[in-house]
Amino acid sequence: MKRFRGSVDKPGLWPRKGGRLSGRGACRFATQVEYIGQRRTRVEDARLVQGQGRYVSDVAWPGQLVMAVVRSTHAHARIRAIDGSEALRSRGVFGVYTARDLGGLNRPMPMGIVDTSFEPALQTPLAADKVRYVGEPVAVVLAEDRYLAEDAVEKVRVDYEPLEPVIDLDEAAADRVLIHEARGSNVLGGFEHTVGAGEAALATADLVVEEVLRIGRVSGQPMEPRGVVARYDAEQGVLEVYLGTQSAHGAKGHLVAMLGLPPEKVRVIAPDVGGGFGVKMGAYPEDILAAYLALTLGRPVKWAGDRLEEFLATNQEREALHRVKLGVQRDGRIVALVDRFLQDCGAYTPMGSLIAHTTAINLAGAYRVPNLYVSYQLVATNKVPVGPYRGAGRPQGHFVIERMLDRAADRLGLSRIEIRRRNLIPPEAMPYDTGLVLRTGDPIAYDTGNFPEGFESLVAALEPRLEERRRAAGRQGRWVGLGVANYVEISAAGGFEGAIVEARPDGTFLVFTGAAAQGQGHRTTLAQVVAERLGVPFESVTVVEGDTALIARGVGTFSSRTMVMAGNAASQAATAMRQELLAAAAKELEVAVEDLEWEAGRIRVRGVPASALTVGEVVQRLLQSQERVRTEAYFSAKGATYGFGSHGVIVEVDPATGGVSLRDYVMVHDGGQVINPLLADGQIIGAAVQGIGTALYEEIRYDPQGQPLNTTYLDYLLPGSAEMPEFELIHQRYAATNNPEGFKGLGEAGIIPSMAVVLSAVEDALAAGGVPAFFAATPVTPEAIFAAMNQGGVSHEAASV
Amino acid sequence: MTTRQIRLTVNGQERTVEVEPRWLLADVLRERLGLTGTHLGCEHGVCGACTVLLDGRPVRSCLLLAVQADGHAVTTVEGLAQDGALSPVQEGFRQEHGLQCGFCTPGFLITATYLLEQNPQPTREEIREALSGNLCRCTGYQNIVNAVEWAARKLAEQNSAKP
Ligand code: FES
Ligand code: FES
Repeated sequence: MKRFRGSVDKPGLWPRKGGRLSGRGACRFATQVEYIGQRRTRVEDARLVQGQGRYVSDVAWPGQLVMAVVRSTHAHARIRAIDGSEALRSRGVFGVYTARDLGGLNRPMPMGIVDTSFEPALQTPLAADKVRYVGEPVAVVLAEDRYLAEDAVEKVRVDYEPLEPVIDLDEAAADRVLIHEARGSNVLGGFEHTVGAGEAALATADLVVEEVLRIGRVSGQPMEPRGVVARYDAEQGVLEVYLGTQSAHGAKGHLVAMLGLPPEKVRVIAPDVGGGFGVKMGAYPEDILAAYLALTLGRPVKWAGDRLEEFLATNQEREALHRVKLGVQRDGRIVALVDRFLQDCGAYTPMGSLIAHTTAINLAGAYRVPNLYVSYQLVATNKVPVGPYRGAGRPQGHFVIERMLDRAADRLGLSRIEIRRRNLIPPEAMPYDTGLVLRTGDPIAYDTGNFPEGFESLVAALEPRLEERRRAAGRQGRWVGLGVANYVEISAAGGFEGAIVEARPDGTFLVFTGAAAQGQGHRTTLAQVVAERLGVPFESVTVVEGDTALIARGVGTFSSRTMVMAGNAASQAATAMRQELLAAAAKELEVAVEDLEWEAGRIRVRGVPASALTVGEVVQRLLQSQERVRTEAYFSAKGATYGFGSHGVIVEVDPATGGVSLRDYVMVHDGGQVINPLLADGQIIGAAVQGIGTALYEEIRYDPQGQPLNTTYLDYLLPGSAEMPEFELIHQRYAATNNPEGFKGLGEAGIIPSMAVVLSAVEDALAAGGVPAFFAATPVTPEAIFAAMNQGGVSHEAASV
Repeated sequence: MTTRQIRLTVNGQERTVEVEPRWLLADVLRERLGLTGTHLGCEHGVCGACTVLLDGRPVRSCLLLAVQADGHAVTTVEGLAQDGALSPVQEGFRQEHGLQCGFCTPGFLITATYLLEQNPQPTREEIREALSGNLCRCTGYQNIVNAVEWAARKLAEQNSAKP
């Protein structure tokens, strides 16, 4: 069913939504205000801008003990002994705990997702015999405050027998040194998939380009480090855990499994969470340890991780090594894509093969790829475990296809824009089955959109500016280039989310959901959905999120899924509530439901204005005979949603410094039915900036001994306000077909093509300066640019004169 | 460990606290004075989340010992709203969606407040430059720049409305 037409809008302008409700025959109770699609400021903000947010590190209980963690200083070592006696004597110390003190608790922690595709390698809360990455927890200290706890951490003596570490992916896959001996190999699992004739089709291509692409390891780095505060409420017999998490219900599941408590005895609360981006998910040792100690000691236990720990002990991502072949015809049309890659897992697999698999299913991007072969191997290395970071494989898959298209275009003497034109999936081909398959078993079939229209609007916005930019920069000896890339955002595949709507006697409504936000503004957007579907003022709806005591079932916020899952659940629960209230009013007013109209918080009999009840009065009547007026709904979308987009950027390279400035950055995006454009744009721009970080600045580096080399913001650079461009957005809207509201995920959109597009633009700029270059690795730092210049016979000294 | 008594004027109020000399100003504000609006993002002076005004000038409260602030005036994010009304900078962040998770926000608000005192009509470039010592991982900065521009316009209106 096609629900509304797509349209391309002028940059920065959102179309007004017209007649959508009436078009569905639901006009009898049409609401006066359409909140869905409305640009609204957030209900969250008044508190946050006054410093009244409550983040985990702000939670403090009387009598609480502060936990600090003793972390491995070796990448790979056997633990001979741990001596905590001096630490125990340290001032203000309550206790020192090693694996031995944990007894049965110290078993492998559950994986953060369901993944039966391989046998995982899971971490125990504390390392018992062996450490496998620098930063792995080996002991914890409890003390009166953090200063005293950290004093004591320095006094815990750990006797290590160093083992040879394995850092490089190829080396790890060669199995000369084993990280998990019992497994017999560092290759923990694998996967392959063929579309069409697969690799054999390369034989029919006019040209086959081959590359080895290396994607650097990055860290998600939310501004708020991870943290947890646990306390045991002896009176209620409930363990209450405040956790900076994207999934309160997931965390509760891990705690229940590890601690062996009945589910009703564990409550997890995600208060204000200072950014997640995928890394605040899954079971982390500190969460389990703090909860366990609080439970056994009967005193509140708090751990507030610091920035160093965010670098040493929070999941990282992206690192992979791709060996790729792309076969094309002389006219640029893709014949086949072949990719064999090694996916770095780090020392453990807390989130299964999620990233590798997501990478694999993103390889076709927005293009017709009739034949494809992909295989990956999951490779353990002595580095921080790998878990999702915004995009979680989507940027990697797109990096591969987009880089290869650039390469093929250059070899064919075709423009990089033209080769994309010739391969984009046309609207007539929708729904387009890529031949790839979701983990759920559903085919990946792009359902709606007009890719060429979106791409052309991008080209039209940028191409005319290129010459002018070149002239202006050329006068200052700088080189200018344009990069373009397309993407499809596959999101919200699998799982469900729920919403409970509760009516209160004053005519206001509460909405409970498990999908809490870490900045996305769900309290605003879900309230918009509920207010519209109920037909009540926005202000009368309050969304309460992230507390497992308030809604029993939930999944969480990741994979750009919340508006699709929780949004539709909220819509359904609100619609059910509306029907319930109308039925009650009809009974009360002794008319048929069809004779009622709902307007401005009042339900009245059509044509008899005097015969009316307020919503609150109806609720009060219902409460005379029932305890609560509640509706609930759980929604699970079939398949996934597919949002299309294009990015284009004009960059300027300064050959004297190797510095890259981003001049014009244009993004086209199809977000389906958008709930709040203000917030949607915020998500897209924020994600794009993270992607630019991955392209130009960010990489976690290890020395051959497995020591991380950059663990502060002085040497791991995040994008800052001065370097970031002003983004221009062009919107498309093609409603998703797999959910009634037509929502599509959009939280990851901005990050998907940004690596590819920035590298492409830098190459184009170098080419303009007479330097042929192909960047096969991220990030593209000034060193990489100088290296390309040297290779091309252009020294930066010469370039700067 | 020995402690010292220090006196701070925090958001206009006299406060006296007994502190260990090694305690950071940020920790004293957060843990001793209950002002948890000042956030700790890096504790090594780069992210700016902990920014407060010391005698009217922005400082990193994670790089300052509380005893160094003895006898000085400190303004935190909790001190920006006047009589329950958001300051123009706070209102600008709300209007322009200049925050997502809100963790970096207190530091940005303090820095932006200082910027507009020094330069009431900054260009977008000047705003970006002035905020370059504050990191935000969520917003991509564009809406933060919009927010500061919003505040500058608001302040200009307020000033021209004054007799
Ligand atoms: S916490 Fe002070 S600058 Fe980051
Ligand atoms: S709003 Fe989250 S870090 Fe700035």
